[in-house]
Amino acid sequence: MIYRDQYAPGPARGAEVRKDGEEKWTLVLVREMRHSPEKVWQALTDPAQLREWAPFDADGSLGTAGSTVKLTTVGAPALHVTETTVKRADPPRSNIVGSLEYGWGANDMRWELEALGAGTRLTLWTSIDRRFIAWGAAGWHICFDVLDHLLGGTPIGRTVGPDAVKFGGWKQLRDEYAKQLGVEKPA
Amino acid sequence: MKIKLTSVFVDDQEKALRFYTDVLGFTKKSDFSNGPFRWLTVVSSDDPDGTELQLALNDNPAAKTYQQAIFQQGQPAALFFTDDVKGDYERIKGRGAEFTMPPTDTAGSTIVKLNDTCGNLIQIVQLAGW
Repeated sequence: MIYRDQYAPGPARGAEVRKDGEEKWTLVLVREMRHSPEKVWQALTDPAQLREWAPFDADGSLGTAGSTVKLTTVGAPALHVTETTVKRADPPRSNIVGSLEYGWGANDMRWELEALGAGTRLTLWTSIDRRFIAWGAAGWHICFDVLDHLLGGTPIGRTVGPDAVKFGGWKQLRDEYAKQLGVEKPA
Repeated sequence: MKIKLTSVFVDDQEKALRFYTDVLGFTKKSDFSNGPFRWLTVVSSDDPDGTELQLALNDNPAAKTYQQAIFQQGQPAALFFTDDVKGDYERIKGRGAEFTMPPTDTAGSTIVKLNDTCGNLIQIVQLAGW
């Protein structure tokens, strides 16, 4: 992981919150990737690639609508496994936006992959406990950096759960998102 | 090797946190989240470096089944120890908790049982001799 030492997460950006009621909010994250939608789609659905960057492991492909997949949260002190059925899996094609939907526990996950020049505009809508919205934004920020490096051939290694919290830039990043999203600074 | 932590399943972590702190009088110790997972523990206010109790969400079928089965049998999901069970009973009752067993003398101890509102019975024990 020679690239890991050089990695810095950069400033908080591309996040907003949609509030549906008191408790359940949706975090919307937009990230521009230097890689094609087809390549990003593979990384979002293939268990072997998810293991390199995502905050969960999948025991099967997420790329087929209707299939049932077990998701294991990475870095949880106690084993945490939830089962999901993929609701929608439309791969990106020329001029067609890719769309992927499934649940991660109680969190609804919706991804869109839109061609942007030679790269991809990746959007994630994820419902999340409002107390942890800045954590979620900071966590996904680092995951997206790890994904971008992975696809670019300069891997920095999966950084999730306690590894993300221990990471040097974590607190600053989390507090920047809390400020941008207008939520209280987490404890 | 040390016993540092034990767990109870709860049906709602936020409700559980309020009950275990505001009603029972414990203190929040750890609160972390990764996606749908939330690591939440409380500790005795009298022993903040002591054994932690994890309030684990019962978000899988095995946890729900286990929790309901022992609840229906009247089995407590956790036991806490005190040197003043009658005082604790009055204090916790005064904060609105529902007791399924008032202070009751058994061989060697006095016990109470209460409903934690999150799917569990909790037993508080005062050993005779303490």
